[in-house]
Amino acid sequence: MMKAADIMTREVVTIRGSATVADAVKLLKDKGLRALIVEPRDETDPYGMVSETDVIYKVAAFGHDPKKMRVYEIMTKPCIVVNPDLGVEYVARLFAQTRIRRAPVIQSGLLGVISISDILRKGDFVEKPKELFIEDRIEAAREEARAICKEQGDTSPACAAAWDTVEELQMAAADQRRKTEKKASLQAYCEENPDAEECRIYED
Amino acid sequence: MMKAEEIMTKEVVTVRGSATVAEAVKLMKDKGLRALIVEPRNETDPYGMVTETDIIYKIAAFGHDPKQKRVYEIMTKPCVVVNPELGVEYVARLFSQSRIRRAPVIKEGLLGVISISDILRKSDFVEKPKSNFELYCEENPSAPEARMYED
Repeated sequence: MMKAADIMTREVVTIRGSATVADAVKLLKDKGLRALIVEPRDETDPYGMVSETDVIYKVAAFGHDPKKMRVYEIMTKPCIVVNPDLGVEYVARLFAQTRIRRAPVIQSGLLGVISISDILRKGDFVEKPKELFIEDRIEAAREEARAICKEQGDTSPACAAAWDTVEELQMAAADQRRKTEKKASLQAYCEENPDAEECRIYED
Repeated sequence: MMKAEEIMTKEVVTVRGSATVAEAVKLMKDKGLRALIVEPRNETDPYGMVTETDIIYKIAAFGHDPKQKRVYEIMTKPCVVVNPELGVEYVARLFSQSRIRRAPVIKEGLLGVISISDILRKSDFVEKPKSNFELYCEENPSAPEARMYED
């Protein structure tokens, strides 16, 4: 699975919350950006963000003077932030569920910004669509199949059909795993540390 | 006051509602666009639109296969459209009130698309901010509230 860090935009421009909206508009125009990050003022302060949408919805729509308004009056703070290791499919799901389009990528500091445009342009969801929670669906289908077979008999057509569904899901899951070719963490660890106690192979 | 037609983006790309989402993604990537317009099928049919957001929220977020899904399943139709003579401040207000970021500009056909980026980059709201009341008085010079009293 591709990660947020693989497709994020690394050029980020920050602004102070006390800057005027006119300053923010100038920065957005000059740098060709759709959002600026408001950096925390100290260690306990959260990250914030001010976007094109904030400027248009809250300033232009009311004819307020951008030279007299400050970024802190229109910014979103705290804003939702993303871990660089989060899978792109999960970023898409997070964005859809929280109705956002962009988030800073943070891990002991600001690493970049990830937006729906990054996902559309750099993600691989067209070539390799990945269903999330497929393991959960397999479990649910298995439980369902057991219940049907208990009720209608192990040789009933309904029982056979239910198990076919389970099998299809398992094949889809195996297919996804093959495409991602991601090693289990233990496997990766053992390749690096073949002598570790956890990696011993017992023949009994 | 600047008008929608002065700042709209005139290059517009349309797509059929029956096209696959994978085709729409390819068009957006190739043309560097954030939205495609779905043209009406006949005279009584409304305009529609499919955006980046529709694709990410409704396809990528669920791992659906874009090659199996069609544009009509995720598009917004009918969509809000804007008159080319509408003042930019009113476009901003309309967008804010209806929580949209982009609309086709229509008058006897598709003229362009106007987005919040167009307003931010090309309009004069920083240089010439107008208050609500000023907007109202400009539109209705004979309204009682707009009269100038000299006492």
